[in-house]
Amino acid sequence: MRKDIKEILSLDSLKIGYFSGKNENVLLPPLTASADSGELIAVIGKNGIGKSTLLRTLTGLQQPLGGEIFYSGKNIRDYSRMELAHKVGYISTEIVRVSNMSVYDMVALGRFPHTNWIGKIEKTDHEKIMDAIEKTSMKRFCRKFVSELSDGERQKVMIARILAQDTGIMVMDEPTAFLDIAARYEILHLLHLLSGSSNKTIIFSTHDLQMAISQSDKIWLLLDDRLIEGAPEDLMIAGAFDHLFDSSTVIFNSDNGTFSFRSENRGTIYLDGKNSKRYWTEKAINRAGFSVSNEMTSTYIILPSESNSKWQLSAKSIVREFKSIHELITCLDKEVMST
Amino acid sequence: MQKELSVDLKAVRNVRLIFLALLLLIVILLILDIFLGSVNIKASEVISAIFNNSNSNYETIILKFRLPKAITALVVGVALSLSGLQMQTVFRNPMAGPYVLGISSGASLGVAFVILGFSSNIAPESLNGLGNWILVVASWVGAGAVMLLIMVISSRVKDIMTVLILGIMLSSGISAIVTIMQYFSNETMLKAYVIWTMGSLGNLTSGQLNVLLISVLAGVILSLFSSKMLNALLIGENYAGSLGLNVRFARAVIFICTSILAGSVTAFCGPIGFIGIAVPHIVRIIFKTSDHKILIPGTILMGGAIMLVSDIISQLPGSESVLPVNAVTSLIGIPVVIWVILRKRNYSGSF
Repeated sequence: MRKDIKEILSLDSLKIGYFSGKNENVLLPPLTASADSGELIAVIGKNGIGKSTLLRTLTGLQQPLGGEIFYSGKNIRDYSRMELAHKVGYISTEIVRVSNMSVYDMVALGRFPHTNWIGKIEKTDHEKIMDAIEKTSMKRFCRKFVSELSDGERQKVMIARILAQDTGIMVMDEPTAFLDIAARYEILHLLHLLSGSSNKTIIFSTHDLQMAISQSDKIWLLLDDRLIEGAPEDLMIAGAFDHLFDSSTVIFNSDNGTFSFRSENRGTIYLDGKNSKRYWTEKAINRAGFSVSNEMTSTYIILPSESNSKWQLSAKSIVREFKSIHELITCLDKEVMST
Repeated sequence: MQKELSVDLKAVRNVRLIFLALLLLIVILLILDIFLGSVNIKASEVISAIFNNSNSNYETIILKFRLPKAITALVVGVALSLSGLQMQTVFRNPMAGPYVLGISSGASLGVAFVILGFSSNIAPESLNGLGNWILVVASWVGAGAVMLLIMVISSRVKDIMTVLILGIMLSSGISAIVTIMQYFSNETMLKAYVIWTMGSLGNLTSGQLNVLLISVLAGVILSLFSSKMLNALLIGENYAGSLGLNVRFARAVIFICTSILAGSVTAFCGPIGFIGIAVPHIVRIIFKTSDHKILIPGTILMGGAIMLVSDIISQLPGSESVLPVNAVTSLIGIPVVIWVILRKRNYSGSF
């Protein structure tokens, strides 16, 4: 559908890190990756590996220690601060607290690279600002102060601010970190929308693996020894995410993108039933440390059906009925404990 | 959209109306400041003193004393308030101001070096021409040195109150140095310095007033150029940088501007407290905005007006005595500062 898919950003053996005194403190091995226009890219990696440093380096707030970054084919070193502000916008993890700043004024700051020396808001600037506010559905908050907003609303205003900045690329450092679940999905939905309809390239870091896998077009997976890039599905098939977890305690299930904890198998149970009730009962039983057997076992459970609305557990000599999975699991735990 | 725009227009009209009202207030206060004073002069005689060459005693009082003093008050109010606004934004600290962070102390150290250090027989009153400029430049350098120190500190320490406490420590340290310098200076030097520290709006020679006017004008023009940068700095240096601001350049401009504004005032009028910290808050309350395109002119007008009021009060109209202007500004400014601290909810964390 997208007409102009083109590479808008590329990293070539990029070395990132800090200078501590005279010593270079390189965080990651040289990184090579790329981003196309309109792509939603999730940057994933464990804490302290250098996600924020990478994003800051992309934005030009920090100098690369080596290697190159190209925006639309032109080296980042050949851009002035102001030119770069036309190319890439940035949201950090820092929560901005300013008193007396209206939502409109905050979004208007995005016009900074476009306005004259005194920062006069012209008609076109006003239109861009209102457009950004509308796209983030913040119009009814327009005159409110930023300090009066909820975390999620404030994050939307920050996103509106880079929309008004009118850059092809938006870099966001953990945009959903301090949000509740509803706001988290709302922001992600917004990012998805913007990358699709407004053709923005969005590069964001996150710790929410499942969200990243289900929504992003591409993942940059930062590991200690390399950067792996690709569609989430490519990475799943390659088993790349296994490197993120300590495999002795967590099992990443590359069939469906879920993960579970490794625990000792407490026994096998046969389930008699089908549909969604079977799916969720199986999950609960797995969580309790049992595996599901395909053949009849001494302990078995008959799931609710049309004739019976209860779970029926048969173990050794007893048969019991339960109204909910919770009751069933509690009893199961006790039964096994007692043996 | 239509409604949105009309709301905008209404807001703009309100801002202009307040500006106009403040301007009118300043004119009225200027006139009041000239008409009222320790010596009772009838209004008709004030007018004739200004417009006719009557050569009376009253004319001397009005033209040589009251008028320059009123103008000085206006200029001092503008300069201190503006430097306070810039410091609050650049440090993202609602408690910042030239007095509390020790910038004024730094300026007085510069002055102390000139009066106590180099020349043994000049009093500020006898300074003229080049001497005035030496005094004011020393004051800028002193103010700038402290400002630089505070900038370094606040780039490492993010906590507002810690920076504030360090500022107070710095002021105390500087007064200690000045005390030591006083101890080793001779009688004439000491007398000249003590008179200077008392701080007054009325002791300026016309030459000094000129130097003050030129310096503050330069600072005001520079501050108008900085309004866009200040707006960006409101949301922090990282964001400002990502918007295309050269943060180092912006800091340098604001640093120079603040040092000139606060330094010049301190050079000729001594340390005057709490105007710089209080006025920007009063302006924010009135205009309910964080936009420096409005805050800067607002602060210029409000700063001038409040300093004129302080001057009128300090003359205790109708009585023979005069209060130190520093006491009056403290009594006006401190309640505002206390109110800001107590209302901390809106100012929590950073600025």
